[in-house]
This record gives sequence, C-alpha cells and structure tokens, in this order.
Amino acid sequence: MIPATNLLILGAILFSIGVIGVLIRRNAIVIFMSIELMLNSVNLTFIVLARQLHSLDGQIFVFFIMTVAAAEVAVGLALIISAYRLRATINVDEINLLNG
Amino acid sequence: MDLIIPQINFSAIAPALTVMITAVVVLLIGLFFQKVQRELLAIVGIIGLIVSLGELGRMWGKDITGFGGMVGNDNFTIAFQMIFIIAAFLAALLSLNRIEDEYVSYGEFYGLLLFALSGIIVMVQGLNLLIVFLGLEILSISLYILTGFRKMRADSIEAALKYFLLGAFSTGFLLYGIALIYGTTGSFSFKGISSYVNANGFTNVLFVAGIILFLVGLAFKAAFVPFHQWTPDVYQGAPTPIAAFMSVGAKGAAFAVLIRLFVSVAAFSTREWTIAIWVLALLTMTIGNVVAIVQQNIKRMLAYSSIAHAGYILVGVLAGNEMGRSAVLFYLMAYTFMNLGAFGVVSYLGISHKVENLRIESYRGIGYKYPFAALAMAVFMFSLAGVPPTAGFIGKFYLFSAALKAGFVWLVILSVLNAVISAYYYLRVVVAMYMQEPEEGKVFELPAASWGVGLALLLAVLGVLYMGIFPSSLMQLFQKTAELISML
Amino acid sequence: MGLISLTTFFPVLGIVIILFISKKNLLAIKMVSIVFSFVPLVIASYMWLHYKYPMTGIDLESQFQFVEHFAWIPAFHIDYFVGLDGLSFPMFWLTTLLSFISLVASWNISKAQKGYFALFLLLETSMLGVFVSLDFFLFYVFWELMLLPMYFLIGIWGGPRREYAAIKFFLYTLAGSVLMLLVMLALYFNVKDPVTGSHTFNMLHMMHKSNQSAWLTTFDVRLWLYIALFIGFAIKVPIFPFHTWLPDAHVEAPTAVSVILAGILLKMGTYGLLRISYPIFPDIAKYTSYALAIFGVINILYGAFVAMAQKDLKKMVAYSSVSHMGFVLLGMAVFTTAGINGAVFQMFSHGLITAMLFLLVGVIYDRAHHREIAGFGGLGVRMPVYMGIASLAFFAAMGLPGMTGFIAEVMVFIGAFSVYRVLTIIAAFGIVITAAYMLWTMQRVFLGKLNPKYEHITDINGRELFTLIPLGALTIFFGIYPLPVLNMIKVPLNYLITLIH
Repeated sequence: MIPATNLLILGAILFSIGVIGVLIRRNAIVIFMSIELMLNSVNLTFIVLARQLHSLDGQIFVFFIMTVAAAEVAVGLALIISAYRLRATINVDEINLLNG
Repeated sequence: MDLIIPQINFSAIAPALTVMITAVVVLLIGLFFQKVQRELLAIVGIIGLIVSLGELGRMWGKDITGFGGMVGNDNFTIAFQMIFIIAAFLAALLSLNRIEDEYVSYGEFYGLLLFALSGIIVMVQGLNLLIVFLGLEILSISLYILTGFRKMRADSIEAALKYFLLGAFSTGFLLYGIALIYGTTGSFSFKGISSYVNANGFTNVLFVAGIILFLVGLAFKAAFVPFHQWTPDVYQGAPTPIAAFMSVGAKGAAFAVLIRLFVSVAAFSTREWTIAIWVLALLTMTIGNVVAIVQQNIKRMLAYSSIAHAGYILVGVLAGNEMGRSAVLFYLMAYTFMNLGAFGVVSYLGISHKVENLRIESYRGIGYKYPFAALAMAVFMFSLAGVPPTAGFIGKFYLFSAALKAGFVWLVILSVLNAVISAYYYLRVVVAMYMQEPEEGKVFELPAASWGVGLALLLAVLGVLYMGIFPSSLMQLFQKTAELISML
Repeated sequence: MGLISLTTFFPVLGIVIILFISKKNLLAIKMVSIVFSFVPLVIASYMWLHYKYPMTGIDLESQFQFVEHFAWIPAFHIDYFVGLDGLSFPMFWLTTLLSFISLVASWNISKAQKGYFALFLLLETSMLGVFVSLDFFLFYVFWELMLLPMYFLIGIWGGPRREYAAIKFFLYTLAGSVLMLLVMLALYFNVKDPVTGSHTFNMLHMMHKSNQSAWLTTFDVRLWLYIALFIGFAIKVPIFPFHTWLPDAHVEAPTAVSVILAGILLKMGTYGLLRISYPIFPDIAKYTSYALAIFGVINILYGAFVAMAQKDLKKMVAYSSVSHMGFVLLGMAVFTTAGINGAVFQMFSHGLITAMLFLLVGVIYDRAHHREIAGFGGLGVRMPVYMGIASLAFFAAMGLPGMTGFIAEVMVFIGAFSVYRVLTIIAAFGIVITAAYMLWTMQRVFLGKLNPKYEHITDINGRELFTLIPLGALTIFFGIYPLPVLNMIKVPLNYLITLIH
C-alpha cells in the first residue's frame, strides 16, 4: 500500500501544477482545465485524509466538490463559447475591452 | 466509521428555503409565461424576500440550529441576513429600470438574483466549512451568470469570463485550505477548529497554511488588496444593479464568515495575525482610494471605492470587540443604502439614445436637468465620503471608535486620512453634477424613470439620512446582537 | 422644545417650505427665506433681554442658560446638549443678524434661487448649532454640516474659478476637522462621566481634571492633542500659514456668502479655541501662549501687508480679515482680563465691520462688474451716500474712536502690553499699515478724477441701505456704549482666566 504522505505530496504537486497552469497559460480552456486539476487534487487530498483520519466527512466533501465543479463547468464553458462567438478568440490577453 | 443520521431541522434554513423556492417559482413563471411583465416577476420575488424577512424575524433571539449543528442562526447572523435581503430587495427594484432592458429573460434574471441571495444566506448561516463552501459556490455561480447576462455584449461576457476564471481559481485555494484544515483538525466545523486551536495553538505549519489559503479564498470574494484586480472590470461589465448587489452581498458574506471564524477562534487575536490584518486593512483602503482618484468611468470609480470600504470594514473586524462587530453590522447596513443608491443613480442615468453615460464627465450639469437624481447622488457621495449628517459618517465613526477602543491608534489615524483622500473623488462627481457646464452644451435626454428606481432611490436616501440623524435605535439593536453572539 | 432649538432649527422649517414652492415663484422663495431668518433674530434678541449677566458658564452646566439636555445616541453617550453663556451668546446673536442681512443682500441671485436660499438657511442652522453645542460630538456634527452648504454656495453661485475655490475650501476644512475628530475620540475614551462612570462627549465633563484618565494628564499627550485641535481650528481662523484657502474662497464666493464667511465662520476657529481647547487644556494653553501671540502678530502684519498689495478690492478686504483676526489671537494669548475681553469683543466687532465691507464691495461690483481698485476713481461724486457709508466702514476697520473696532483693539493692546511688550509694539505697526491701505484704497476709489466710464453709475439703493444701515448703527452704538456686550462676556472670560492661572 502506498503511504498516505506520498499521496498527499502528489496532491500538493498536482495542485501546484494547476496553479502554475492558470498563471502561465493564456488559453481560457487550458486555464479552466488547470483549475479543474486544482479541484481534483483537492479531491485526492480529501480522500487520503478521510482515510487517514477514519472519518467519512472528507469523502462526503468530495461529492460536493464534484457537484459544484460540474456546475462550474456548465457555466464556464457557456461563457467561453459566448466569448468566442463575440470575439473569435479565447486568448485571455486579447480579451481586454475593459480597462480604466 | 459509524454513520449517524443527524437531526434535521428545516426551520433552521427556512429563510434560505423561502428564497430558493421563490427563485424557482420566478424562474418557472418566466419560462412558461413569456409575455409576463417583468414588474410581476419582480413583485413575486419581492414577496418572497418579505416572507423570508418575516421568517428571520420569527427566528430572532431563538438561536435555532439544524442539520446536526451545521447551520445555525444567532442574532448576529440573522442581522447579516436581513441586511443582504434588503440589498437584494433594492437591487430587484433597481433592475426594473427601463434602461436595464437588454436582459431578454427576466425570469432567469430575478431567479438567479434570488439564488445568489440564498447562497449568501446559506454561507452566513454555516457553522461548518462545507456549508460555507456550498453557500459561496451558489452565490458565485449565480453571479458569474448574472455578470454575463447581457450576452450580446462583449464587455459583459468579458467581465463574466474574468470573474469566472479568477473566482474558480480562488475557489481552488479555498478548498485546498479547507483540506489542510481538515487534515490537521479532523473537523470541518468552526467548533472543531476552535477546540483544536485552543489545544494546539498555531504550531502546526500545515494548519496555518490551511487557514491562510482559506483566508485567501475569502479575500478574493471580498476583494481585499492584493486580491482585488477583478473588481473594477467585473463591476464595469456587469449589469449595474448586479454590480451594486455584488458590492454589498459578496463582500458582506465574506465578512460574516471572517467574523464568525475570528469569534470562534479567539487565538486570532495573537500578534502575528493582528499585524497581518492590520496591513491588509491599510493596503486595501489606501490602494482602493488612491486608484479611485484617477478613474474616469463612474462604475470603475465605485468599484475602487468599494474596495476601500472593505478596508474600513476590516478595521472594525480587526478591533475584535463587541463594539467592532456591531460597527461592522451598522456600517454594512449604511453601505447597503449608500452604495446601492449610488449604483442606482448610475443605472438610472445609464443609457440615453444608445450612448452610455458612464464617464464622470457625462454627469456634467445634470444637477439642473435631473434635480432629484442629482440630489440623491450627492447624498450618497457625501455619505460614502463620511460627511455628517449621513449614515456613512456615523458608520465610520462607529468603526473607528471601536478600533480606537481596541488600541489601534495609528490604523485609525491612517484610516481617517484615507477618508479625506476619498472625499476628493466623491466630490468630483458632485462638482461635475452641479458646478460644470454640460458637455456639448446640453445634458442628455433620458426616458422616463420607472417607479421601481424611484422607490429604491427614495428608500436609500431615507435610509442614509435616518441612520445619519437618528442612529441610536439601530445601534442599540446591533450592539445587543453583537454582545449576545453565541458559538451555537 | 426650548428657545435655542427653536432658533437653531427654525430655518430648517423654511427649507421644507421652500422645497414645496415652485421654482418660478421667486418672490415667495425670497420672502420665505427672509422671514425664516428674521424670526431667529427676533427670538435671539428676546433671549438677550432675558439674559442673566452674572452666570459664568464655561465648565458648569448649572451656569449655562437656556440649557436643553437629553440623550441622542445613548450607545456612545452622545447627548443633544445645548446652552448659551457669555462667550457664545454674542456670536449666536450675531449669526442670526448676519444671516438675515445676508439673505436680504442675496435678493439679486440670478440662478437656481430655490437651491441657494434653501442651502443658505441650512448654513444658518449649522452655524447656530456650532455656537450652542456643549456636547463635543454635536459640535462636530454641526461643524461638518456647515461645510456642505458652504461648499455648494461657493461652488455653484461663485465666480469663474468657483470649482477650484470650493474644493480647496472643502478639503482644507475637512483636513482640519479630521484632526478634531481624532482628538474628540481620544478625549471620549479618556474622560469619565462623574455621575454614570461611562465615557462621555460632554465638553463640560472633559474640562474637569478629576474626570480625565491618567493617560490624559501626561504632558506630552496633552501637548499633542492640543496641537492637533489647534490646527483644526487654525485652518478655520485662518492662522498663517493655513490661510491660503481664504482669499480664493472669498474672491469666488457671492457677496452674501463672503459676509457669512468672514463674519461668522472665521470666528468659529477662535470660538472653538476658547470654548474647547482652553478649558480642556488650560496648562497647555498657557504653555503655548507665546507661540500663539507670535502667530497673532504674524497674522496682523502679514494680513495688513498683503492687503496693501492687493489690486482686487474684495481680496483686500479678505486679507484685512486675516489681519484683524490676528488681534483676536494676540488678545487670547495673554490671559489678562483686558486682553481676552478685547479678543472676544473684537470677534463681535469684526463680524459687524467686515460684513459691512463685503456688502459694500458687493454693491459696487453689482454696478461696475469688476473689483479692480485701480479701475475706479472719483466715484464719490456720483455715489455720495455710498461713499458716506463706505467711509464709516473703512474708519471702523481702521479702529477709529467711537466705533467698536477701536474699543476692541485698545483693550487687546492694553492687555497684551503688560505681558509681551515687544510683540505688542510690533503689532501696533499693524494699525498704521491698516490705516495706510484703507485710506489709500478710499482715495483711489472715491477721490480724484471721475473715471468717465462711471459717468452714469447709480448710487446705493434702498435694499442695499437696508442691509448696511443696521450694521453701521450697531458699530457706532456698541462703539460708544459697549457695555451690553462687555458685561455679557466678562464674567465667563474672567472665570476662564482664573481656570488657566
């Protein structure tokens, strides 16, 4: 069996990859995928912790995160499609109508 | 791993349920009766709000908890919920404005507004990080859609996209923070965290990191500097009544959770945390005010001003005493009236002949052409600047007194200086309205105002003046509320 | 409701009525505002008749008159606490008088009259409120409230650079009041109500050492609080170097607003020092008195010299106010009976005289549409009555015997000479310079060859006379028989001096 610490470290690494992805990628879809990666690394962390702590709470939390993430996908993709329709691009650097 | 079915007490979430059911009803009316007037939808929504206010009134003083202690309503949270319901009420009235007529589907608009409100209520009621997270997401997802509600407009969609990406990003931090907190304390409830901290203090690095990540997530929602960059863009692109509601609702909900956390965990009054929040408050108000000075677009200016006001409220949170908590409530109430009012005037003057009047220069000379709107705007501007006899003055006085009482002398001095800086840009609007000649020689024409906007502005002006001249009854109410704050 | 509240809030009633009058009905708007400012004058005069001279006031509630005292914001122990004593009554009465006269003088306001008269009445209420408040918080609210109408009156009905002048006025005064706010909060948390033991904003409680916390009795703390409060008031006076807002505000403001600005608002600075700073920090007041005297002398000389250099008649009068307020400061700094009584009498006297001067500038500006001193000449021929009244006002400002200015200045000099001999002698030069620029101005405006442009200029009219004659008569009356005012102010002021020594 893989020790819990290793899994937690994996979660942290995945989370970091997600954060870096959000910060350096400019394509809205890829940014969104990076955010999903962050959420899933959190899910992994929760499951490992729940197992370690012998409590169900963490696993239940994962279901909520998955539900919420699904709702976010629905809204997020719709927004990205709308943006593409209006501007013919989803590069966040080119979407810059709003400024002082 | 025993599974215990906890005691469920639906009356504990009656206000949130009422709001959600109303939201569904409004959504369905809008869906099946396409021709129905939007006034009717708004009225149905408002009736729901009034009913849930009644529910809250019934729950007053009873400390009702439910769902195995995951949600709870002491007077402090009830007061918060009432403020947010009033904010939603005003926002619903404002969106009746004839200018806000490009939303296409009003059933969805009011439905989502109510869902956002229900998210806030859930979040404020939560005594458990899971509930807080759920409430926050209900709120956020509704607001993402509402921000992009004018879907044929590139700026609206852009604002929604930015808000969505940054919001989801911050949710990631919030969740990772919760995970770390859970991993170290083994609990999601504020009570559990509190007993963990009482036993162990802030010695565990992972726990501290968890708390910091959680606070970063909240700071995004409340738009504290340096997590504020999304605010001006989103406020500018969002429909004006929604920007108004966000500025009070999303921010206020984050404050409610923050206070709940600080009250539960007394150890937050240690030196390191105090310094951190001290710096955060000062940065937030200073950067908000300084950047607001150079704004040309009034919605962006109000966005930066709302950042600055979050800084003032943080001063009250930092004070950490009963006076500070009641001051936060009082200020949030005052802020609801003055900020929603200011956005309301912006919405009323919004568009004439397809040209948007959002630059401060376009307000030149309206003092004579639209005397009532201009007078209301002047009242809100002076209140935001904190000049007597307005609610903004008493509110700031209250916050700063609380901070002084807690010994934060320098922070109060710097906050007061900030208030003076802010007077400059609020006055710019007043100067434009009353003291400058209109651009191109004459003031723009507007369609007639709808009764909803008139009513909302009237209520806001009366609220600002009433709280400024006779503040004592509300003050006593909030004071009692803050004294009786319970851990549930 | 007591007489003070009735007087103070009566103009608000006028505002409500004006808001319901159509904006086309100019006559009704003007008449309502004049009537609603006349009634407070009548009530205040009635109160003067019933004034009890021997009561000391200053720091004992039982020694105040017409007191009204009830809770306003109990959560902060803030009271609606108003009352009058010999220090505030002359200013209170003067405010009702000058407000009434200014409203009559505003007859020819040509735009947005409804707003103008409503704001002017609001200004009157807030000014009266400042003079009657005995609760620091209430005082502060009225003090700030005064900013709003003043800001709009300058900013909307002012001259070409009104916007700049209004913002400058607002921000300067706001900066000053913010310092006051901080001091007020510091005092609140360090003063205990002797009866209930809670914190209090009651000024009179703040004045008793026994109510102050240990922190508040340390010298450094008191010094810094005093200085912060002093700057707040100094901006209003204005004391050099905080005076730069004044000429801008005066030049841009309409005539009636200038009258109020110079006649009442400037006095609020010195009133605040006497009402709040001196009794709460008597030791510091004494410690810093030499500095205050120097500020006074600088004001006298600087104001006079700059006034002399002015080409604009109104700016000249504005700087002469700076100079005259210097006498008030000098008199206040010496803590002798004559000095401090002279200072307060000068506040009253200067209110009358400077109001006349600004009204006179307004009269000529209405006719010539400019205020360049060099652009006039020989007007005495065409405007003999105007010249007569102007001479009276100018002589009064110079401090000629038989008029109030003389008594006030002589008292200040007598009081100051025994304490700061050298400073007093230097200050005396101020009188000479004042005489010089006043006479020189008169000569350039009224004497010499008539400027042909003004061949057909008309003399002063009935309404203008109506505003000027009462002021002129009072200047002479109190110049010959100053006892009604002096008797009133001397009891509390002598008591104040014993507090300080």
